[in-house]
Amino acid sequence: MSQKLSVVGKRIIQPDAAAKATGAAMYASDLKMPGMLIGKVLRSPYPHAKIKRIGKSKAEKLPGVEAVITPEDVTQWKPFDRGLKDLPMIAGGYLVPPDEHILNERARHFGDAIAAVAAINEHIAEEALELIEVEYEELPFVIDPEEAMKPGAPQVSDVAEGNIGKHLSYPFPEGDVEKGFKEADCIVEGTFSTTKQEHCTAETAAAVAHLDVNGRINIWSQCQVAHMARREIAHIFNMPVSKVKLMTPLVGGGFGQRGSVCAEPICIALALKTGKPVKLEYTREENFTALESRTGFKYNLKIGFKQDGTLTAMQVYMLGRLGGYMGCGPMASVIGMVFGLGHYRCPNRAGEADMVMTNTPVSGAFRGFGNPAMMWGIEQLVDEAAEKLGMNPLKIRLKNIKKAGEIANMGLRLESTYLDECIKRGAEAIGWKEKWGKKKEGKMRRGVGIATMTHCSGAAPLYLDHSNAFIKLNEDGSADLTVHPAPLGQHIWGALSQIAAEELGILAEDIHIVTGDTDITLFEYGSDASRSTYAIGSATLIAAHQAKEQILERAAKMLGVSPDELEIKERQVYVKANPKKSIPVADVCYDAIYNFKGECLNISGKCSWEGRWNSSPTGAFFAEVEINTETGRVKVIKFVTAIDCGKAINPMTVEGQLEGGMQQGIGYGLTEDYIINKDTGVVESDNYDTYKMPGILDMPETEVVIIDKPDPKGPFGAKGVGEPGMVGVAPAIANAIYDAIGVRIKDLPITPEKVLKALGEKSQ
Amino acid sequence: MKQIANFIVNGKACELAIEPHMLLVEVLRDELGLTGTKQSCGIGHCGACTVLIDGIPTLSCLTPALTARGKNITTIEGLAEGTRLHPIQKAFIDYGAIQCGYCTPGMILSAKALLDRNPNPSREQVKQALSGNLCRCTGYVKIVDAVLAAAESMGKEASE
Repeated sequence: MSQKLSVVGKRIIQPDAAAKATGAAMYASDLKMPGMLIGKVLRSPYPHAKIKRIGKSKAEKLPGVEAVITPEDVTQWKPFDRGLKDLPMIAGGYLVPPDEHILNERARHFGDAIAAVAAINEHIAEEALELIEVEYEELPFVIDPEEAMKPGAPQVSDVAEGNIGKHLSYPFPEGDVEKGFKEADCIVEGTFSTTKQEHCTAETAAAVAHLDVNGRINIWSQCQVAHMARREIAHIFNMPVSKVKLMTPLVGGGFGQRGSVCAEPICIALALKTGKPVKLEYTREENFTALESRTGFKYNLKIGFKQDGTLTAMQVYMLGRLGGYMGCGPMASVIGMVFGLGHYRCPNRAGEADMVMTNTPVSGAFRGFGNPAMMWGIEQLVDEAAEKLGMNPLKIRLKNIKKAGEIANMGLRLESTYLDECIKRGAEAIGWKEKWGKKKEGKMRRGVGIATMTHCSGAAPLYLDHSNAFIKLNEDGSADLTVHPAPLGQHIWGALSQIAAEELGILAEDIHIVTGDTDITLFEYGSDASRSTYAIGSATLIAAHQAKEQILERAAKMLGVSPDELEIKERQVYVKANPKKSIPVADVCYDAIYNFKGECLNISGKCSWEGRWNSSPTGAFFAEVEINTETGRVKVIKFVTAIDCGKAINPMTVEGQLEGGMQQGIGYGLTEDYIINKDTGVVESDNYDTYKMPGILDMPETEVVIIDKPDPKGPFGAKGVGEPGMVGVAPAIANAIYDAIGVRIKDLPITPEKVLKALGEKSQ
Repeated sequence: MKQIANFIVNGKACELAIEPHMLLVEVLRDELGLTGTKQSCGIGHCGACTVLIDGIPTLSCLTPALTARGKNITTIEGLAEGTRLHPIQKAFIDYGAIQCGYCTPGMILSAKALLDRNPNPSREQVKQALSGNLCRCTGYVKIVDAVLAAAESMGKEASE
C-alpha cells in the first residue's frame, strides 16, 4: 500500500484526554442521580457453604435502608452465565449452562454473593450488611483442580459432573503427533504452571441502574461487550431487549475483566425492588474475590525437533482451574492452544484440556486470554531445545516462524507477518550479540532472553465477530460517527476518528464519536480479542467510504466533472488534474442538507462488518535481567518489545499499549500471586498490601520498536495491538534468568524463593 | 454527630456539616461533587485519591475530613485556570500519559507537589515522587516523560 496518509499514522491527542486530565471525565463510579440509593453486597466468608437461614428483619428496620434482598427474593429472575455464554456467541455450539443466580443460597467460593442491600448512603448500607443474620452450614470444599477431579471430591456445581466444567480440544489439530515425535531428533518436555493474575483495574466494578418513565431498565455498565450484556440482562430479568437501555460511561480499565457482567445483575435487582436509582460500586477486595481473574493452568507440554531445529510435533494437556462458576474460564484453554500451538510452523499438533470447577473465585479473560499462559511454556522449551541442538535462540525461532500466506493460528490465512524483523530489530535494541550466552560470575549476574508470539485482531472464526458503524456528515463538513467500542483507555475513539477522517479527507477533530447507548448504536460485539481498531475500524472505513462516494458524486455535479476525477484532502474536494478547481467538503454537505432543488440528502454511510479474515499481529520480546544470587531477587534492567501490528494508526497509542503490557507482564512474571489459603479457602491477597503489582520503581528501562508495515486486510493496514504487549514478557524474563544463572523456573510467578531453591538444586 | 468544618477547596472557602467518621475523599466526592478525586484501593496503597493539603500530597482515603479543617485543599479540579490547563495537565495529554485516566488526577497532583518543590527533577526523582501512585495501563513510561516535559515547559514559562 503506497497510499499517502495524512491523518493515519499521526500521534494525535485523544478526544477524552482533557476531560481525564481535569477531573471532568465521568465514570460509572462518579454518577449520581436524584434519590439514588447505594447498594452493598453481603459475601460468603466460606469457600463452600449452604445458607440455612437468613434473618433480614434487623437490617430492614435500620433507618435509611430501602431494601434487603436474599436468594429467595430473586427467584423470579433467571440464572445466568456471567461470561454471557449461556446464550450463543461462540461458533460450534459451545454454550455454558446458566449456573449462577443473582444471589446464591449455596456459596461456592469465598466472596460469593449471598444478600444485598440498598440504603440512602454507603455507611447505612454497610451497617445494614452487618445486621443481616446468616446461618451457614459449612460444606467440604476443594481448591486444587487435581483434587477436584478425584472420585469423592466435593461437587462444586450441579452442571459439572466430577467437577469437569468443560473438556475441550484444540480446534485446529494437524497430522499425527505420535508420528511427529518418532521423527524428532530432540524432544523437550515439561510441566508448567501459571497463576490467577488479577486485573487490578484502577476503577473497581461499578454500575448504576434505574427504571425510566416507560419502565425500561436503564443501566450504566462497564461491560466491554455492551450489546451482548444488554441481551443477557434482558434474558435474566425476563424482558424484551428493547426494554433495556445499556449505557457505557468511560471505564477505568477493563483488560478483559469487564468482558463479563460484573455489578450489573445485583444493581438492577436492587433498582427493581426499590423502584429507585441504585449505584453499586465494588470495593477493591470485592474486585479481587467476586470478579473473574486470569485462568491459572498447570500443563504438560512436549515439543519435537529435527536436528536442524525444525519442529516436528507439539502436544499439550492443560488442566485449568475455573472456580465456583464457569464464566469465560474454559475458553482460556482453547485460546491458549490456538495461539500457542499455532504460533510456529508445525505439521503435527494436538491438545486437550480439562477445565475444572473448584471452590475458588471465578476465572476468566485477561489480556491475551490463554496466550501468555501457553507461551510461558512453549518459549522456554524452544530455548531448551536450542541449547540441546547447539543453536542460537534467535535462529531456531527464525527457522520455525510462519510466513505470510501460510495458515495462521486461527485457521485462516496469515495475511502478513514481519516477525523476522521484530526478532532482528529487537535483538539489536537489547544488545543480544554482546550480551547473550556470555560467561557469568559473581553475586550479581545478568542475562538476556527472548520470547515471541502471534495473536489476533478479532474473534473470527471462533466467536461472533460482528461490528457496525454509521457515519453522517453535518452541514459544516464535520461528521458524527456512531460506534460502540468500550472506552477502556485504549484510545479507540481517537483511532476510529483517524480512520474515518483519513477516508473522508477531513481532520480527526472533525469527527465526533456518538457512542455508549444501545438505544442509538447499532449492534457491536465489543472491545475484546484486540479487535476494536481492526473490526470496528473496518466497519468505520467502509461506512466512511460510502459517505465519501456521496460527497464525490455531489461535488462532481457542482464542479461539472465526473466523480473519479476528484479527490478530497484537508476538507477540500479537488479536481485532481486541476487543483485550482475545488470546493470545500462543508459546501457539498451544506448543499445536500439545505437543498431547495428537490435533491435533499444527509450524506451518510453504514456498514455491518463480519470478520471473515483475522490478521495476526506478531511480536518479539527481549528482557535483560539482573539476579542477586544470594537473595534470589530478579530485577528487570531493560525490556524491549518489537511489534508487527501492521500500520500503526497512532504510534503513541501503540507504544502505550505495549508499555502497559510490559508492566502487566512483569507483574505476571515476577510478583503477582493470587493466594488462596489451602486450609480455609480464604483469599489472602485481596488488595495491594498483599498483592504486588509493579509500581513505577519496578519498571525497567523500556523500548518499543514498531515495524509499521501495513497488513493487506486491516483498515489502512492496521492489526490488533491491545493484548500482544503482555504475551511474551514472562517467558522472555524466564529465558533471561536461564542465560544469567542457568536455572529454569517453570512455575509462575518467579519469586526469589523459587530462584534460590533452583540455584541450590543446581549446585548439588 | 455532625460538626461544622471550614475548608479552602481549590481557593474557595466552604463550610460543611460533616460526620466525624467521614473521610476527606467522601467529603470531596459526595458533599462537594468533586469527583475528579478517585478512590481505588481504599487502604492508601494506590494513590488515586491523592490531593494536596497545604501543598503536600495526601491520601484522602485515609484522611479524616475533620483533620483538614482550615486547610488549603487542592484537587484536580483546581489546577487549571479557567480553560487554561496547568502545564502538567497539558503534558499528560500531549505525551499520551493518560489511558483509562482513573489514576491520572492522583498522578498529576503528586507530580505538581514534586515540581513545586523541585522544578528541575531528574528522571529518577520523578519516579521516586510518583512511587506511591499505581497505574495499570501505561507502564508509567509516558507519565515520567510527561512530568519531565512539564518541568521543562514550566521552567521556560518562569524564565520568560
